[in-house]
Formats: sequence, structure tokens, C-alpha cells
Amino acid sequence: MESSNPGQNKSWWSVLKSPSAKYSLIGLLAFGFVSGIVFWGGFNTVLEATNTLEFCTTCHEMRDTVYPEYKETIHYSNRSGVRAICSDCHVPKIWAYKMVRKIKASGEIWGKLTGSISTPEKFEAKRMELATHEWDRLKSTDSRECRNCHNFDAMSPQAQRGTVYKKHMKAKAEGQTCIDCHKGIAHKLPKEYREPDEE
Amino acid sequence: MTLLRSSLSIATLMAGTLLLAAPSAQAADEEAAKALARENKCLTCHGISKDKDGPSFKKSAEKYKGKADAEAALSKHLTSGAKIKLPDGTEEAHKIVKADPAQLKNLVQWILAQ
Repeated sequence: MESSNPGQNKSWWSVLKSPSAKYSLIGLLAFGFVSGIVFWGGFNTVLEATNTLEFCTTCHEMRDTVYPEYKETIHYSNRSGVRAICSDCHVPKIWAYKMVRKIKASGEIWGKLTGSISTPEKFEAKRMELATHEWDRLKSTDSRECRNCHNFDAMSPQAQRGTVYKKHMKAKAEGQTCIDCHKGIAHKLPKEYREPDEE
Repeated sequence: MTLLRSSLSIATLMAGTLLLAAPSAQAADEEAAKALARENKCLTCHGISKDKDGPSFKKSAEKYKGKADAEAALSKHLTSGAKIKLPDGTEEAHKIVKADPAQLKNLVQWILAQ
């Protein structure tokens, strides 16, 4: 009996390797093409479903901590009605970077399983560490996700307050990036955080 | 009777002392005030003891020193978008501080205590 299995495996492998005697090449190509579209569409739909605000707030770790804070900020509610949701800031738009981020984010499942931020107290204890990861990520990409919407060149000296506009133009000239100054804009600043020049 | 009366006066005196001491017990919560200042980006334009685009908090405290309505005046300044003059001579509206009344009161008291 045992000896028949390798033979069976071999024959399946041979079938896979040998040219089709039954289906035409164009039929196989068409089938592969359509299957590819269906697979890719399905994959992308699921991927994009993990980028929605509803998905992010499914877990109480986000819903009870960072989400209510974000709802108080200008990125949630503003005069012009443009809203930036979690993924707009925390997930890159470019596909390759998005995949890297999503793979890294799978580590958050481990955090969920081990309950690393399962209570507001535990979250507060780790807020500085988690915020620092995100600040470092934005710093390393020249605040790429901020720049999906914001652009130094699109800032109007008439619409922006004078001091703010001057600071932005100085930052542009000195090669500073958004996150250098704009920390804690959508969530509370960690209690351990200190401005570089407070005194 | 005399003993009771003197005990009462001592108690009254102690209560009075406690009442007098009360304001210092309500001194501003420094950490909470600084946290609010960071959240509102106050420290971008004001240092605690260093002038930036705006005066230092020490300078602001000196300006309001001895004024009876200091707390009310500074609260209004921080929440009304008051016109301010910058070092380069230009004028603009001051940023409106986002905070609930208790937080704002604490921030104002802390600034005035610098």
C-alpha cells in the first residue's frame, strides 16, 4: 500500500509538468488570467478592508484610547469636512511600502494575543514607546503620509497666520519635516514627552 | 467655661490659619499645565523663561503682577484670539487655546506663577 503513494504523487507531479492534451493553450491562459483578476481583486478588497476606520476600531485597544482622542482633533472634524482616518496617516499609500507596513503590523496581533495594551493603564504605560515608533517611522520617510495631503508649496501666506507661515518656510529651507514639530496632533502626547526647547 | 472659651478661640484660630493657607494648597498643577501647553503648542512661541516670537511666561507673569483681574485678563487673552504684536512689527490674532475651563484656569495660574 505504502509503495502506491509515491507512485500516485509522481503521477500527479507528472500531470502538472506535462503539456495539457485536453485544454487549449488559449483556454488555459484565459482561465489563468481571469483567476488572477479574481484572486487579486479578492486580496486587495480584504487588504483595503483592513484600512477602514471601522476595522481599526473593532479592537477595544484602539476604540477606548486613541480613537476618542482623535475624534477631538482637526483631522477628524473640521471646517471643510475633509477627514483623515487611521490608515491615511498610519499606512503608506504606495503598494510596496503598504505591504511592508502590513507585514510589520502583523506583530500587533501578537500584542493583542498577549494583551500588551489590553487596559487603558497598560496603554498609557506604553504610549511613549508606541508613539516613538510612529514618530521614527514618519521621520525616516520625510513624513510621507502627511505629505499625501500637505505640501509646503501649497501653503498660502494669506490664509495662514504670519508666524505659522514664517515657521513653515523656515522649516522648508532647513529641510525639516512635518513630524519634527507636529507631534501629538491626532492623539494625546505621552506624559514623558518634552519639547526640545521649553525653557 | 473659660477653658471651653479658650479652646473655641484656639479652634477658630486654627481654622482661620487653614483657610489662609488654602490658596497655596490650590497652587497650579505644574505638570498638567505644561502638558496642556505642549498639546496647544504654546511653547513654539513662548519659552518659560526665554522670549521667542512671543514673550516668556516669566515676562507675562511680571506684566500681570499685582493686577486684581490678572487671571480673568490672561484667560480672555488665551481664548479670544486677541490681537498681538510680533517682534517684526506685524500683528495677528493669538492662537485660541483649546482646553476645558478647569484646565485653562490651571494653565493661567501656572503662567502667572512664573
